[in-house]
Amino acid sequence: MSYEFKLPDIGEGITEGEIIKWHVKEGDEVKEDQPLLEIMTDKVNAVIPSPVKGKVTKILAKEGEKVRVGQTLLLIEGVETAVSQPTETTQPIQAPQKEQKVVEQEAQRVLASPAVRKLARELGVDLSKIKGSGPAGRITESDVRAYAETLKSVQPQETKLIQKEALEERVPVRGIRRSVAEKMVKSAYTAPHVTHFDEIDATTLVKLREFFKNAAELKGLRLTYLPFIIKAVCAALKEFPYLNASFDQERNEIVLKKYYNIGIATAVEGGLVVPVVKDADKKNLFEIASEITRLTEAARQNKLTLSDVQGGTFSITNIGSIGGLFATPIINYPEVAILGVYKIYKKVVYTEGKIEPRDYMNVSLTFDHRVLDGAVAASFTNRLKQILEDEKLLLSLLF
Amino acid sequence: MDYECVVIGGGPGGYVAAIRLGQLGKKVALIEKNRVGGECLNYGCIPTKTIINAVKLAEKVKSMAGRGVNAQLSLNLKELKQWKNQVVTQLVRGVENLLKSNKVELIYGEASFVDTNTIQVKLKDGSTREIKTQNSVIATGSVPIELPGFPIDHTNILSNWDMLELEDIPSRLLVIGGGVVGMEFAFAFSKLGSKVTVVELMDQLLPGQDKEVSALLYESAISHGMEIYLKSKALSWTKENGTLKVKVFTQEGEVEKECDKILLSVGRKPYTKGLGLENIGVKTDEKGFIIVDDCLKTNIENIYAIGDVVRGPMLAHKASRQGVVVAEVIAGLSSRFDNVVIPDATFTDPEIASVGHTVESATKAGYEVIVGKFPFVALGRAVSVAETKGFVKIIAEKSSGVILGAQIVGANASDLISELSLAIEMGATLEDLSSTIHPHPTFPEALMEAAEAAQGKAIHVVNRPWRK
Repeated sequence: MSYEFKLPDIGEGITEGEIIKWHVKEGDEVKEDQPLLEIMTDKVNAVIPSPVKGKVTKILAKEGEKVRVGQTLLLIEGVETAVSQPTETTQPIQAPQKEQKVVEQEAQRVLASPAVRKLARELGVDLSKIKGSGPAGRITESDVRAYAETLKSVQPQETKLIQKEALEERVPVRGIRRSVAEKMVKSAYTAPHVTHFDEIDATTLVKLREFFKNAAELKGLRLTYLPFIIKAVCAALKEFPYLNASFDQERNEIVLKKYYNIGIATAVEGGLVVPVVKDADKKNLFEIASEITRLTEAARQNKLTLSDVQGGTFSITNIGSIGGLFATPIINYPEVAILGVYKIYKKVVYTEGKIEPRDYMNVSLTFDHRVLDGAVAASFTNRLKQILEDEKLLLSLLF
Repeated sequence: MDYECVVIGGGPGGYVAAIRLGQLGKKVALIEKNRVGGECLNYGCIPTKTIINAVKLAEKVKSMAGRGVNAQLSLNLKELKQWKNQVVTQLVRGVENLLKSNKVELIYGEASFVDTNTIQVKLKDGSTREIKTQNSVIATGSVPIELPGFPIDHTNILSNWDMLELEDIPSRLLVIGGGVVGMEFAFAFSKLGSKVTVVELMDQLLPGQDKEVSALLYESAISHGMEIYLKSKALSWTKENGTLKVKVFTQEGEVEKECDKILLSVGRKPYTKGLGLENIGVKTDEKGFIIVDDCLKTNIENIYAIGDVVRGPMLAHKASRQGVVVAEVIAGLSSRFDNVVIPDATFTDPEIASVGHTVESATKAGYEVIVGKFPFVALGRAVSVAETKGFVKIIAEKSSGVILGAQIVGANASDLISELSLAIEMGATLEDLSSTIHPHPTFPEALMEAAEAAQGKAIHVVNRPWRK
C-alpha cells in the first residue's frame, strides 16, 4: 500500500499554499524528517518534512501549483505501517507509526447550493477561489456573478497575445509575486483608498538620530530614522484609535486594537513582505531598532516565522532610501491605514523671521474611507508632524 | 450514424438517461435484455415495498387491538403477489410509454461492443443487428455476489428475485447477509410467519451504518423473534428429508441450523459480462467497476457509464441522477455529477434512512462535530399514532454549524431524510434548520428538534451535552 502524503496543517488558519520547490523526485528514497518540499503560503514559507521512511513513487503536484491542506501531494511506497500479520507464533506487533500532529480534514467542501455550482460551471468560475458572503462562508449566486464580472475585465485577448509573443517574454506569476498580487487586489478592491499628503520638518529627527547614533553603534545597532517614526506613530495612534483598527465586513463592525503592532513593508527578492514589530509602544528606541534589523534580515533570507508576519495593526512603508517625492501606498488589508515616508532632503525655508536651510520629509497616509474620513486622517497627520518636529516631545517618547 | 446515443440497460439509470436525451432532442436508442425498469422496478425497490407495506399494515392494525380498532386479519400470499405484479406491470408500462413519447427507440436484446461506435445486438428472435452510434452509455447494473458453497439454485438457495416468486411462506428462513436486502426480507418474512435466522459476517447489522442505529435494529429483530448471528459465517449445507441443515460458524462455536429456504444476500457486483468492454478498452478497477470522471465519461471519449456499474453506493436514485447528468453532458450542457451526498433508505421495522457523515466517519475525516439527537417518543405526532420507536440524529461541524450528516430510525424515516439531503446540498447550518417553521403535528418536527438539540436548545427534551 502506498502512503499518501497530504499537505499537513501548517497552523494559524493557513488553508493553502504554493509549491515553491520539490526537494525530492520520483524514485528517491526518503528518511523520516527529510525535507520533501518547500511551500509558500500567504504568510510564510515552510519546509515540510517527510513523516515516514520509504520510496517516493509519484509526485502529484507541480512546482508553482497551488495546493490545499489535506490534498495528496505524493505517494511513498514501502512505508512500515501498523499492519502486521498475526500468526500463531508471532504476536501482533504495533509498528511505530508517527502520529501526525493535526488530524487532516478532508478536502474542505466548497459551500454552495447545487444551482450555484451549476451556474459557476456555466460561467467558468472556480468556486474554490471565491469567498462566500453567506452564513458559514456559503457562496451565493450573486457572489458567483460578481466574481465572473471581475474575470471578464481582466481576461486578456488571447489572439493578440500570440502575435506579440516573440516581442514579449512571459513570466509566470508565482510565489511571492502571486501572493503580493492577490493581496493588493483584495485590498484595492475592498477598501476605498484615499491618500492624504503632508511634509514634515525633519530637522529635529535628523538631530536626534545623529545624537543617538553613536550610542546605538556601541550596542552594535544600526540606527535609522524608522524607529523614531515608529515611536511617534504609536503615540499618535493612541490619540486616534480608529487608525489602529480593522474592518470586520461580516459583522459590520470596526475592531479597535488596544495593542500596537507596526508592520514594516520590506522589499525582498521578487516581492514584498510586511514583518511586524510587536508591541512597538512598549519597546524603547533601541529595542525597536534591533527588532527591525532582525526582521529585515530574516525577510531577506526567507526565514520569517508565522508570528513575525501576523497581528499587524498599522503599517509603514519607507522608500526614502531609493528616492521619489510621494506615493499612494495600498493598505495592508485588513488594517485601515498605512503611512508612507520618503527621503529627507534639505530646503530653504522662512521661519521666525529668518531664512534657513532645514531638513524636510514628505509623508503620505492612505486610509480606508469606510472607517476613516479626511478630517481624521489630516488631524492624525498633524499630530504626527507635531510630535516629530518637537524635540522635547519626541525625546520623551523614545525610552 | 444510426443514433446520437445508445443507452445499454433500461434500469432506473438507463431509462432516465434515455428519456432526458430524448427531451434534449437527441436521436436515442435504449437496449434492454429483460424488462425496462431493471432490478429496481421489477425485482427490488418497488415489489418489495408492496409486500413490506402489506405486512406492515397488518401489524399496525393488530397493534391497535384494544385501542379502538379491532379486526380479524389474514394475509394471503397469492393475492399479495397478484397485487404486486399489477403494480410492477403498471409502472413498467408507464416507463415504456414515457420512452415512446420522448421518441426513444426501445430495442429488446443483448448488446455487445464491436468498436467504440458500433454495437451488436442479439435480438430476442435470435437474429443480430449492428447499430452505429456517436455516443454510448453503459447502464448495465449489477448482479448478486455468490458465496462459495452456496450456489443460487432457485429451490433451496434463493436470490431476492426468487423470494418474490415463492408460492408458500417458508416456515423457517435462513438469511445469509444482514445488509439492506437481507434485513428487509428478514422483517417481511418474519411478519408473514417465517421463523427467521440471520447470519452476518461483520459485527453489526447493516455494516457501515451508525452503530446506535444498527443496535436499535438488532433489538427490533430480536423482539420480532429473529435469531441473529453476528461475526458468523455460513460454512456448508445439506438437505435431509426436505430440511436444509446449515453449518454456521458463530462466536459460540459451530452450530447447525435447520431451515426450509436460504436467502443469499451478501451484496452485489457490477455487471458487464458479454458487453465486450475488452474490445474497446474501457477501463475497470480491481472490483470490476467502470472508472468514470465527474462527467461520467470513461477513458474512451464517447463512452459513458452510470449507476451500479460505476463506483459509489448501488442505489436506484444514484443511477437516476447520473442518468440525468450523463444525458445533459452528452447534449453539451454544463452538468456534472457533483452531488455532495447520496441518501439511503432501508425498509426494515423500524425504517432507517441516512445521509452524509456518521459521527464516526466525520471524526475520521477530521471534523470536530456536534451531535443533536431527538427521540420520537418525545414527539406529539409519534405518540398519537403509536410510532415512538427510534430517533433522529444530526451531525454538524462544531465551528460553523454546517450540517454534515444525519441518521433517522423510526416511522417514515425514508420520507424524512430528504429535507436533510437538501440541507446538506445547500450547505445549510443547524440554525437554518432549527429556525425553519415545521408544521405541527408532524414527524419532520423531529428534524427541527434534533437541530435544536445539537445547539443545546431543544424544547421537548432535556438538553444534555452529547456523549459518544
